[in-house]
Amino acid sequence: MSDSLHWLVGQLAHLGLNYAFLLDAYASGKLLDGALTTLGLCLFSIVGSLLVGALLAAAVTSGQRWLAWPARAFIEVTRNTPTLVQLYCAFLVLNMLINQSLGSANPMIPFAWVVLVISLHKGAFHAEALRAGIEAVPAVTLEAASSLAFSRRQQLLQVQLPLAVRFALPALVNNLIDLVKMTAVASAIAVNDITYASIMIWTQGDNVIELMLLILAFFGLLSFAVNCIGRALEARLRMPGYGH
Amino acid sequence: MSLSTVARRGLFAALLATTGLAASGLAQADATLDKIQQRHKLAVGVVLSGGPFGAIDPNTREPIGFSVDLARDLARQLGVEVDLVAVQPANRVQFLQQGKVDLLIANMEWTPERDKLLGHVPTPFYRVGGTAALAKDSPVKTWADLKGQPVCTSQGSSYTQALIDLGADLKAFKTSAESLLALRGNNCVAAVHDATLINPLLAKGGEWSGYRALAPELKPAPSVIWTRLGETDTQQRLDPFVKQWHRSGWLIEREQANHITPASPALVELRAKLQGEGA
Repeated sequence: MSDSLHWLVGQLAHLGLNYAFLLDAYASGKLLDGALTTLGLCLFSIVGSLLVGALLAAAVTSGQRWLAWPARAFIEVTRNTPTLVQLYCAFLVLNMLINQSLGSANPMIPFAWVVLVISLHKGAFHAEALRAGIEAVPAVTLEAASSLAFSRRQQLLQVQLPLAVRFALPALVNNLIDLVKMTAVASAIAVNDITYASIMIWTQGDNVIELMLLILAFFGLLSFAVNCIGRALEARLRMPGYGH
Repeated sequence: MSLSTVARRGLFAALLATTGLAASGLAQADATLDKIQQRHKLAVGVVLSGGPFGAIDPNTREPIGFSVDLARDLARQLGVEVDLVAVQPANRVQFLQQGKVDLLIANMEWTPERDKLLGHVPTPFYRVGGTAALAKDSPVKTWADLKGQPVCTSQGSSYTQALIDLGADLKAFKTSAESLLALRGNNCVAAVHDATLINPLLAKGGEWSGYRALAPELKPAPSVIWTRLGETDTQQRLDPFVKQWHRSGWLIEREQANHITPASPALVELRAKLQGEGA
């Protein structure tokens, strides 16, 4: 492993790229830590955002005014404000207020704030994608379900959502790719993601190009993996004769 | 460092050329002075994050502060106009390396690491060390007490390495403003920045009345005017200006005019030393 890394660093040095920091235990440890943190942020916020999205979509399409209106208001406010501003608001304002009232018992670490903010932000986008899917389910299908004595909840969970997910999947995967890239905002509040690790290394040395290429490649691969999983899921869920 | 500078520059130039930016790219060592005269403009990177060294005047919207005074005076003595470019600690080196500014007067102290990347005017114009803002009742009494504790600072801070060596759990925010907010939100036990930023804040009292500073200063280092690596012509041209600032007492006067407290003993020392050498 270390031999092949040495070889790779040597080859890149011929191109004029100085990746010697990868051989330094501190810097490479920092980067590896950062990469794992980014993966963790992605996994937690993908799950979180999908949950938030499903709940919001269910609320918006419920037909109950007291549910639909607050959900719609939340989606509009969240969609129309920048993630970075929301993160600063949450971490520098809300977190300060929680700290002032709870002291050191505050359970929210910066990592958790990033997951929360991204989940809520992307959840609003998922909700819109899912709403499109839910509204695309033909009325006759729902009539058929209710004639079989499906309750409103059963209709949503067993008829509407499974079909809605198939419609919404391309848009959801699109949102998730955006989510992966969005995790870079974590660096703004000193969460040790890969962007933060890179900034900390390049502000101490002369490695901007090398680190930029490295994190571009890392995010590129990560987004590509999400894309591939999404495509595989689309193929797997494909129903002959239904919308394809 | 094992990098091949020639190959590196080649790649850099190729990258810039493909994006059509070759003209503004890496300037040759001696080209900066010519460029300044041709454009009739001196582009200086300054940090305008508030405080006596660089801020925006809320009334006139004009940049003010110690660094700004220095930049304006350099341009005046060169007989050109000044173009003040606001930079951040996290990106100032790139602004200089990519030719977006000719000089940095950006609260950036001399360190051995930076000396490998950039060149500088030999005579320093100030000396700054770090201090930590702490809650008054904090148990931290010495720098060593910060070991294992969450410490806020800014990305690109001069004290990053020193804090890592102390074993602090470093949390570096985009700028000092967020770092200080994070300190007030109890996200860290201390915020470490230039003493010239922290001391005036604490002296102002108000929302900072519950905080104190940690002495002695961490890693005091000379503040210098940075140029690109190897631009000795520019450095030699500017050095007499800096020396004259010290001899005439102009820097001490600007320090007072910008309300920098406590007054730096380094300015008095450098003045005495240069007045001895001069004449």
